[in-house]
Amino acid sequence: MRRRPGIGGLQNAAAARDQYRQLGENVAKLRTDLMKEQLDTFRSQLEDFARKHKNDIRKNPAFRSQFHEMCSKVGVDPLASNKGFWAELLGIGDFYYELGVQIVDVCLATRPLNGGLISLEELCKLLGQRRKGAREAVSQDDCLRAISKLKVLGNGFEVISLGKKKLIRSVPTELNKDHNEILELAQGQGFVTVDEVQRRLCWSSGRATDALETLLEEGLAMIDDGHMDGRRRYWFPCISSVSSYTGTSTDTS
Amino acid sequence: MQTLGEFKLPHFFNYPPYFTLQPVRDTREKQIQLWKELILDYCRTQKIFIVGLDEDFPLFTNAVIERSLSHEAREAFLSALVSEGRAEWLDKGRRKCLILWHRIQDWADLILSFARDNGLEDGVMTVDEIRSGIESRGTELHGMERTILMRALKHLEHKGKLAIFKGTSADDEGVKFSI
Repeated sequence: MRRRPGIGGLQNAAAARDQYRQLGENVAKLRTDLMKEQLDTFRSQLEDFARKHKNDIRKNPAFRSQFHEMCSKVGVDPLASNKGFWAELLGIGDFYYELGVQIVDVCLATRPLNGGLISLEELCKLLGQRRKGAREAVSQDDCLRAISKLKVLGNGFEVISLGKKKLIRSVPTELNKDHNEILELAQGQGFVTVDEVQRRLCWSSGRATDALETLLEEGLAMIDDGHMDGRRRYWFPCISSVSSYTGTSTDTS
Repeated sequence: MQTLGEFKLPHFFNYPPYFTLQPVRDTREKQIQLWKELILDYCRTQKIFIVGLDEDFPLFTNAVIERSLSHEAREAFLSALVSEGRAEWLDKGRRKCLILWHRIQDWADLILSFARDNGLEDGVMTVDEIRSGIESRGTELHGMERTILMRALKHLEHKGKLAIFKGTSADDEGVKFSI
């Protein structure tokens, strides 16, 4: 005989669901508590560590970079906010924000000279001069971190890799593959000629001239007609720097 | 860093493309700006008053990198100074340029304070005394270019601070201050 659904059956089912839910909630709460406990331990450990090595983290670029690596492994970004306990504890957020501002400053000050493309080494060097007497040394790793934080402000800043070399772009110019190849080629001597580009990259003369003209118009290249061989040379200030030009802008350090 | 005598040359002086007039406007403006500052700086420290475009002005050639400014570039940089009132062409052909690292009115102010310092508020001096007399020794006026001095004096005469009077020859020109 088939049992027909009655009010008792419905009530039973509802009660069972309730119990399951309660049980589930209990388990979940237990788990959360455990997690919380673990996180607290972990956090206090990290805090201890950070407190203990505060000075090292601040002063020593190598140590700082390792600390960042450790943090990223456990999924913590000490730079995510300036409010977090990391920032409060270490003042590390301020360090990078300040650095970020100085990077923008240097990039803007040198833009007329290099067209808005600057090598990482040059940038570091200029930052060093600007921060002269400043407390902490700045490494290339620090610069890259500070730049990555600048992304929040839009797509203004980008790091371009050219072989081993890294360039920071602070203008919205899109560099295509051809331009990158020319810049890479120019790394040797600091300049290229149309001939050289054609020969070394196996391009037609039109393609070479086009790419070079674009780089020129963007202010990334400068021409030099003064050599004895009479061939026009294209120099790239972003690669072979005009060196420690610090500009007339105010010294913020 | 490369030097010319005591003078420290800026880094761009060793970067070859700065010796070619740049075709792109923004780049060229920056280039001209740097050259202007360099020329003024150099002339000020070396006390050079006149630059000849076809002469061997030390800044126009950099032997280290084997580059030399073209006539066109020289004229462009000096013209930029002229348009700012920091230089003046001495001839129509633009071959000689007077460099005013102090503007005429600044030179005039220097002359006034020189006169006050020496109690010449209503004294008399010859033009050559101002340039090469004992009183001006050690001041910026000493050895200054006669053309500039005359211009500054005329400026002051115009303002009623002195009167220029002529002697029998050009050497005898003198001024009477009335400050």
